[in-house]
Formats: sequence, C-alpha cells, structure tokens
Amino acid sequence: MNFFLYSLLVLSVSIVLLMLTSRSKKTSEIIFLISQVTGCVLALISAVHVFVSRVPINYRSNFRMPVGEFYVGVDFLSAFFVLTVTVLFSLAGVYGYSYLKEYEKKNLGAHYALYNLALISLLLVVTAKNAVLFLIAWEMVTLSSYFLITFYDKEKAVRKAGYLFLIATHTGTFLLWIMFLLMARQSGSMNFDQMALSSFPLPLTGLLFILGVIGFGVKTGFIPLHIWLPHAHPVAPSHVSAVLSGVMIKMGIYGLMRIIGIIKDFPEWCAVVLLLIGMISGVGGVLYALGQHEIKKLLAYHSIENIGIIALGMGIGLWGQFYHNEFVALVGYAGALLHVFNHAVFKGLLFLSAGSVIRSTHTGEIDHLGGLLKRLPWTGHLFLIGSLSICGLPLFNGFISEWLVFRALFEGIFDSQMNALVFSSLSIIALALIGGLAAACFAKAFGAVFLGNSRSVENAQVKENPLLMCAPMVVLGGICLWIGLFPATMVFFALDAAATISSVKIPPAVAGAIMIPLLTVILVLVIFTMLVAVLFLFKRIAMKSLPIERASTWGCGYSVPTSRMQYTAASFAEPILQIFRNVLGFDVKGSKPKGYFPKEEKISSHVLEASEDLIFRPIFQGIEFLTAKLKIIQYGYTQLYLLYIFIFLLILLIWKMV
Amino acid sequence: MWLELELVLIILLGIIILGNNRLGTMIQLFALQSFILSTTPLLIHPGKHAVVMAVVTIILKVLLMPWLLFWAIRHASIRREVQPLVGYGKTLILGGFLMGAAFLISAKLDLPVQETSNLLVPTAFSLVMIGFLLLVSRFKAITQVIGYLVMENGIFLFAILLLEKTPLLVEMGILLDIFVGTLVMGIIVNHINQEFRSASTLNLTNLRD
Amino acid sequence: MLPVLLHISVVMILSPLLLGIIGKTKAFFAGRWGPPLLQPYYDIVKLFRKGNVYSTTTTWIFQAAPIISLATVLISAVLIPMGSFKAPLSFWGDIILFAGLYGLARFFLVIAALDTGSSFEGMGASREATFSCLAEVVLFLDFIILALLSKKFVLSEMLEANILSSWPLFGPVLLLVGASYFLVLLTENSRIPIDDPATHLELTMIHEVMVLDHSGWDLAYILYAGAMKLFVLGGLFLNILIPSHGLSPMAQTISFWGGMIVLAVGLGAVESCMARLRLNRIPQLLIGAFVLALVGLLIILVKGV
Repeated sequence: MNFFLYSLLVLSVSIVLLMLTSRSKKTSEIIFLISQVTGCVLALISAVHVFVSRVPINYRSNFRMPVGEFYVGVDFLSAFFVLTVTVLFSLAGVYGYSYLKEYEKKNLGAHYALYNLALISLLLVVTAKNAVLFLIAWEMVTLSSYFLITFYDKEKAVRKAGYLFLIATHTGTFLLWIMFLLMARQSGSMNFDQMALSSFPLPLTGLLFILGVIGFGVKTGFIPLHIWLPHAHPVAPSHVSAVLSGVMIKMGIYGLMRIIGIIKDFPEWCAVVLLLIGMISGVGGVLYALGQHEIKKLLAYHSIENIGIIALGMGIGLWGQFYHNEFVALVGYAGALLHVFNHAVFKGLLFLSAGSVIRSTHTGEIDHLGGLLKRLPWTGHLFLIGSLSICGLPLFNGFISEWLVFRALFEGIFDSQMNALVFSSLSIIALALIGGLAAACFAKAFGAVFLGNSRSVENAQVKENPLLMCAPMVVLGGICLWIGLFPATMVFFALDAAATISSVKIPPAVAGAIMIPLLTVILVLVIFTMLVAVLFLFKRIAMKSLPIERASTWGCGYSVPTSRMQYTAASFAEPILQIFRNVLGFDVKGSKPKGYFPKEEKISSHVLEASEDLIFRPIFQGIEFLTAKLKIIQYGYTQLYLLYIFIFLLILLIWKMV
Repeated sequence: MWLELELVLIILLGIIILGNNRLGTMIQLFALQSFILSTTPLLIHPGKHAVVMAVVTIILKVLLMPWLLFWAIRHASIRREVQPLVGYGKTLILGGFLMGAAFLISAKLDLPVQETSNLLVPTAFSLVMIGFLLLVSRFKAITQVIGYLVMENGIFLFAILLLEKTPLLVEMGILLDIFVGTLVMGIIVNHINQEFRSASTLNLTNLRD
Repeated sequence: MLPVLLHISVVMILSPLLLGIIGKTKAFFAGRWGPPLLQPYYDIVKLFRKGNVYSTTTTWIFQAAPIISLATVLISAVLIPMGSFKAPLSFWGDIILFAGLYGLARFFLVIAALDTGSSFEGMGASREATFSCLAEVVLFLDFIILALLSKKFVLSEMLEANILSSWPLFGPVLLLVGASYFLVLLTENSRIPIDDPATHLELTMIHEVMVLDHSGWDLAYILYAGAMKLFVLGGLFLNILIPSHGLSPMAQTISFWGGMIVLAVGLGAVESCMARLRLNRIPQLLIGAFVLALVGLLIILVKGV
C-alpha cells in the first residue's frame, strides 16, 4: 500500500511544483518527466504486487469529511485498471514531453500539472472504496480532461468540443449521483464494501442498472451517447488523445464493473441490454469510422467500436452470472477486461503514431498523405503493428481478447439452460462483422497514409520524429506482440479481476480449459512463423540467380500517370458504405461536371452522425424553444423582479397563516 | 426424413424465387416447387385420394399454368422485372425476418402434426409470407401472379394436414379456382400490355381520378 | 510431427490437380480439348524459374504478402480432416484461428495491392475487402449451426458429428448449411459467379486485379496459395456434406477423394454455365446465403436440438 500512497504523494507534490515553475520551461519539463514516470512506476509496482501476492490492500484515513471518507483499496479489479492507467500514462507522458517541446507559445507547466492531476484523479477513481470519494475523483477527471483537451484553444472547433465534452460528462455524472445516493440509501453507507454486503430488491437493481448504463455510458461512448467523442478526441494533442481513448473512456467500464460487483444479482434483461449496446456500438462505430477522412477522427470512432466489443464480453458475462454458469461469467468478464488493457495499448500506439504523422506532415487528412512508410519508417511500422492488433488478427494481442469473448459467447450457446441462443448467435455474427469491417478500415487507413505515392507535394520532405517520441511507441508495440505470443500472464490477471466482479472463486479446471487451447494457438502461430521464415529463405536463395528489375508501377496504359490517380481512401471505403447506406446517412455537397466542356466542379461527401442529428439536436432545439417561451417573465425591469419577491413573500405568509 | 428434405427444398426454392429478377426463371422454379409439393401428399397419407391429388396438381400447376404464364410473357414481350419496391437485398432480409416470424407463429399455434413432420406448418406459413412479399413488393403483373401462386402452394400444404377429412370435390374446386384465376390474369396482362405498351402495374394508377 | 508433414505434403502435391480438372471440365463444355491436366503444375514451375520486376513505389510489404498468404494456407490445411487422414491439430476454437489466419493473409494482400500506388490494384483491393466482410459473417453463421448440431467447437469433432445415422435428423439443415457454404467457397476463392479467374479486365476482376503487379516467385506463391485454398475449403465443404465418419477407412478415402473430383467438375460446370454477376448483385447473393443459413438455424430452433 505504501507504494501506492507514495505515488499519490509524489504526483501531488509535482502538481504544486509545476504550477509554481510554469514560467520556466526547462524546469517544468524535467519535473514533469521525473514525477510522472516515478508516480506511474510506484503505482505499477503496487498493482503487480497485489497480483503476485494475491492479497488486496486497503487504506483508510482517519480524516473524516462531512460525507464520505478517504478510503482507497486495491483489489484485483482495481489493480488491473491501475496497471492499464500507469502503463499508458507514463508512455504517453514521455511522448508528450517530446511532442510539445517545440510548441513555443504556451504555458506548458500548467499543461503538465493538469496531466499529473488527471493521473492522480484516475488512480483515485479506480481505487476509491467510498462513493463520495469516487464521485469527487470522477469530477476531477472531467475537469482536468477538459483543460487537457482544449490545449489549442485558439480554434473555435476546439472550444466547442470542450463544451460538448463538459455538458455530456456532467449529464452522466448527474445520473451517477442519483444512482449512488439510491444505493447508499438502500445499504445505509457510502462505502462500497458495506454496499456489497446488503441486498437490493429486484426493481431497484433494474433502475440502478439503467442509471449506471446511461451515466457511465456517456463517458464510455455507447452509441447513441457517444456524440462528444468524435469531436473531443481529434482536437486534443496526440498524447492527450491517446490517454483519453485508452484510459479515460475505460473509467465508465470500470464503473459498470464495480456496480456489477457490488449489486451481484441483476435481472436477465440487463444482460440483453448490454449485448444489444455492444452490437450496435461495435458495428456502428466501425461503419462511421469507414466514412472518415481525418485520421484521428477515424481512430476515435474505432474506440467506440472496441467499447462495443467490451460491452459484448460484459453482457455475456452478466448473462452467465445470472444463470450461475461460472465458466461463461468468468471468461466473458476476463475477455472484456483483457480487451480493456489491449485496447489501451494498441489505441495508444495508434494515436501516438498518428500524432507523429501529423507532427511531421502538419495535416491529418488521409487523402493528402501517402507513401510515408519510406519517410517515417519507425512510425509506419508501429502503426502497422497497431493496425494488426486492433483488427484482432493472430500474432497480436487483439486476437487473444477477441478469442476469450468468442469463447464465452459460444459456451453461452451450448448451455441450453441459459436461453441465450438467439442473442449469443447475434453477438457472434456482429463480432465477425466487426472484425471484417475493422480489417477493411485499417487496410484503408494504413494503405492510404503510408503506402503508395505521396498525394500532395509537401509530403516529399518529411523527416522521422525524435527518439523520445518513437521509444514509447516501440514499448507499446512490444507489449502488443508480447501479449499476442505469451498471453498467459495477462490472461491470468484478467481472470483474477473477473473473479472479483462475479464474486466466484476460479475453479482450477477453468484455468486449464482456457489456457490449453490458447497454448495450442500459440504453437500453431510459432509453426506459422517458422513456415514464413522457410518460405522466405527459399525465395531468397532462388532469387540470387534470377534477375530482379526495378521499374515504376505499370500505369494501365496511361502515358503520364500521377500520384493523384491512385485509389484514395474514400474510394476504397465506398463499396462497403454503399452496402450499408441505409444505416448511415450521407451528405453530398457539390455536383458532377456537366456538359461537353465542363468547368471545374467540386464534390465532397461526409457521413452524417445520426445520433447527433436525429436525437440530440432535436432534443436541445426543443429545450431551447421551450425555454425561449419562459423569457416572458424576464422583462429587465428591476421593479418587476422586486415585485416577484414581494408576491412570493406574501404567498409564504398566507400559507403559514392557513 | 424424405418429407423434411422436400420441405426444405420447397423453402429453398421460395427464397430463390424471392431474390430473382428473371421472369422465365421464376416460372420454372415455381413449376419445380409445385412438382415437389405434389409428391408430399403421397408421403403423408398414401392412398387413392393422395394419388389423385398429386396427378391433378402436376397437370395443373406443373404443366398447364407455367405454360399459360410463358404464353403471357411471350405475347407481352417482357423478360425481366424492374427494381422492386425495396431492392433485392432488403427484400431477402425482409423475407428472412418474415420466415423467422412464421416459425415463431407456428411454434405458438401448436397444431396437431404428430404423424407428419413438425416442419410442415412453418413451411406452409413461410410460403404464404413469401407469396405476400412478392405480391406487395413487385411491380410487374406476372410477378404478382407468381406471388399469388406461391401463396397458394403454402395453403395447399396446410390443406394436406386435413387430407383425410376434406372431400375430393372441395380440393378440385380450389384448384379449378386457381386455374381460372391464372387464365384470366394472363389475358388481362396481355390487354394491359396492348393498352399501355408495358406490363407494369404502376400504369394502372392512371385509372383513378 | 509426421502427420503434420504428411498432411501438408498431400495438400501441396494434389491441389494444383484440382485446378487442372476444372480447366478440363470447362474445355469439355466449350467443345475443345483444353490444357493438359497437369498444366497448373507447369505454370507454377515456370514462374519459379522467372525473375521479378518490382515497382519502385513498393516496400517490403509487397514482397511479404505472398509468403504470408502461402504460409497461412499451409497451416490451415493442418486443421482439416481429409478422408481417412484425421486432422493432426485440433483444439477448441480452431475455427476462430482459421478465420483469423485467413483474415491476416487477406489484410496483407490488400495492403500489398495499395502499396503499388496504382488505381487498378486499389480497385481490386477495395472490392475484395467488401465481399470478404460479408462472406465472413455467413461463414460464422454456418459454424454456429454446425457447432449447435454437434455441441462442440472443435473443427474435426464438429465434422465428425456428421454421420450417416444422424442424417435423418440433421439432413435438411446440413443441406442448407452446405448450400450457404458453397456460396462462401465461391466468394473466398474468387470463382464465377463472383469473380472471373480467367480474365484480366478491370470490369470483371476482384482477386486477379489485386495481385496484378506480382511476378516471378511472388506470383508463383500466390497461384499456389490460391490452389491450396480451394483444396482446403473444398475439403471442408465435403466434410460438411458427406457423412463419412464412422464408415470404414476405405469408404472414407473413396468418398473424400471421389468427392473432391466431383466438386472440381461441379465448379467447372458452374463456371461454364453461368456468367459473372454484376457487382451490385454480389452482396445480394451473399445476403441470400445468409438467409439460407438463417433458415437452417430456425429449423434447429423449431426442432429443439
């Protein structure tokens, strides 16, 4: 426990120091680097210690606030999330230090202080054992993220994104307050372990579940509550985007899992709701991603898709928990948890490499880039590793977590007592569709940005990024590969955390049943790698005696091919979007060239955001309309307002008399 | 087991008719479906009644009516269907949903089907649904006739359940009805074509005020 | 180790023969003698003797894609039972690995096509990505049905549940699954009516145009991988349709290899009798395959298996 508290102490001190030295750039940078890495390492040690010693740790301070107390504890679930937070925050912080180094005109010390503040609040959120502490830390996360997002606040789009983020998160927090107050009233205490001991009547659990799903779902990005995500993530600086997408979204998942762990018995329809949310978010997220032109927005939508996959794992886990099928519950939750960690790692990697690209080329538009693999080799290859991981392809970590979720879903079909056939099959089909579409989307993104020829002239002069930006990405890529080939450690961590949620002990047979097929998978992958090596060697030996020629790509009969004739990313995604055109809406501006001697024409199309335009914009316009009606009581005359006060006073006096 | 195989083939042919846009192919598939259908009474209640039913169905639905429909399309010189109301892909998905609904309804209805397969009622319902879908979503008159005939096939499957009870005369009456209906429809299609120079039923909306 | 090598070598030796049989069948339908049965072997050997031309735009990905594609198919061959040869490697969820490996190979082929920076390859890559998404969904639905019928999720055990005595119960469903899987087979291997493996026009190509720029050893690897993929997926198809488990080894061998020849002739017949569909009809075909499998699932629900 001491390590954890020391890390909090180090980080708090660093915040104060950074605020004080924010004028001097060099000092603040050094303080930031040291404090941030130290804090993360200390917290990481405490988390790993919990897993290794298999004993959860608690700390309760004697300082009593009017409501709530400072009660933190690291059990397996919290340790897992502490692991995720610290790994990504430290690496993104090192990257951010290098990324912002040449950004001259800002008070960087304040930004670093806020980064550390975000880190502390996240650590408190995942370890809080008291509802009030949880909500205070939650609020701190929101505020620090707001300032981190609006770093480039000279631009209007950034400010608007920040407002949207604040409003959306606070709506969710409001519902969370109601939920926690209801839980506290039922159990008589604000502490989580007290709540876990009391029992909740069935209608109440349904209500709490709905409040939790909406409240946490706004933060997490379930469709249709996700509308702030595609605006906020792209406008933030890249290390902040990585941390937002990788970690802060997962706080909603942590909250849901903690609630499930506390209120153990949910009605069956809750699992159905989670599965449906998972399906819709997963497929919707990747379809919207296919239609994006800008690389960070594309990655933001992919976060929504992965949250959908996590929700699928949680849904089937909850279903298994309801029917006391321990295997399905454990494997479902373990799959969701492992995907939380995996997504943090590979999404962080992707955002960081996208940031490198943007920093080198000063643009994020996919259709303006091209051919960057030769110019930015480190960035490009690490983006490739990230893409392979996020598509769930074998050899990397995405495959392992998707495997676990598939396992839970298939076992859910086989258990005839569970009546899960229809929804499990639908989820499996949705998961297969998500995998295929994600592969298409990342083939588009990687191919259009890094391969082929450069589509605009400026890209010919880009240079690779400095070491301190590439090194964190290499570490993240290494983690992807490590989990993909040696999944045992992380799978066991995830199983331990899953056991905490479903409050079962892990039967020894479960571990074997999960690991043995996984080990065979690894064996097959090792044979696969050896085969690749053998085939490569054959080719290499044979090519020594055969002629090799280098020429430009065959131009299909064009006499003067240009780089603009390449397939663009938008054209690549067009057939898929055409198939799903009833699900997505398109907004096409401009027209085709007309006549025999057409003049210049422009055409642009983008995918409409259905939730924003069909659900939230009308709601807010309606609220605005209604509140406009209320303006009649505001005339601006002070006398009128005094009259209001006088009338109200009269009413009170009359009421008292009666 | 053979009965179930035949029922599955009938459904399969129904789905293929739903996704097709060539009129000639649709008529041939319908003829094949009716042929398989006509052998089903022989598998359920073998006997003189069933043999008579099978022979009459073959003569009417496999030989005469397809010939009639081919005559109609040859005279109206149409070969293909235009784009249906909702598009082929969506029609197929809708057909899938309706078949799911058909299976659900037949599970709830719980008709006495002990001697036969419990796929009989769902197949019959599915054919009715597919026939209705064809009727509603297609524009050419001939396709609507084919939809009507597919629906008739479904009702025939229902009737097989009651084969012992219904007198032969009633069955014959129904078949005669269908035959005359198709004959009239064929003649009308020809006349529509002569009048409007096309066989699309959209032109019939000219008749309203 | 030995069964693995045996399995792989059988696949490697016999798969181009499948292409040869298809070629002979098409020639028969067209009223000509056609190329010799061993022509695909000659083609591959000829390509192994040629040098390569690499475009200056491409990177190592272009050279890696054919190798990964071939390695994938070789590994996946180890998971399929062939007649009396049992699958050397089988474990829970090997189907997911199967689909994942094919996804990996396809991903690399697609980005290798984008690597050349030419609009032809980009077009083929885009179409291939589209249709494979839908085909994968149908494939997973077929696997769900097979898993439900056999209550297991190990590929060889799922197929072993397909025995003669269970056909009265499962027969119609297996027929529907077989029909649906056949359409997936056609899509994955780019045969008519999805794609035309014989022409090289941009209008009719999906897979062919994606690999247009490869030459020499790369093209040999890709051709070989294509033949083996057809063999492996065709073997899976036969296992679904022919209830061979439980019979004598002789009967199993004859039914499998005889079935392969019949499958090759059937594919040749389909290619000769049909034309390639318009591109916007292909998703509808795949949706039709999905609906077929869905009906199979509904039948299982009704019968309460």
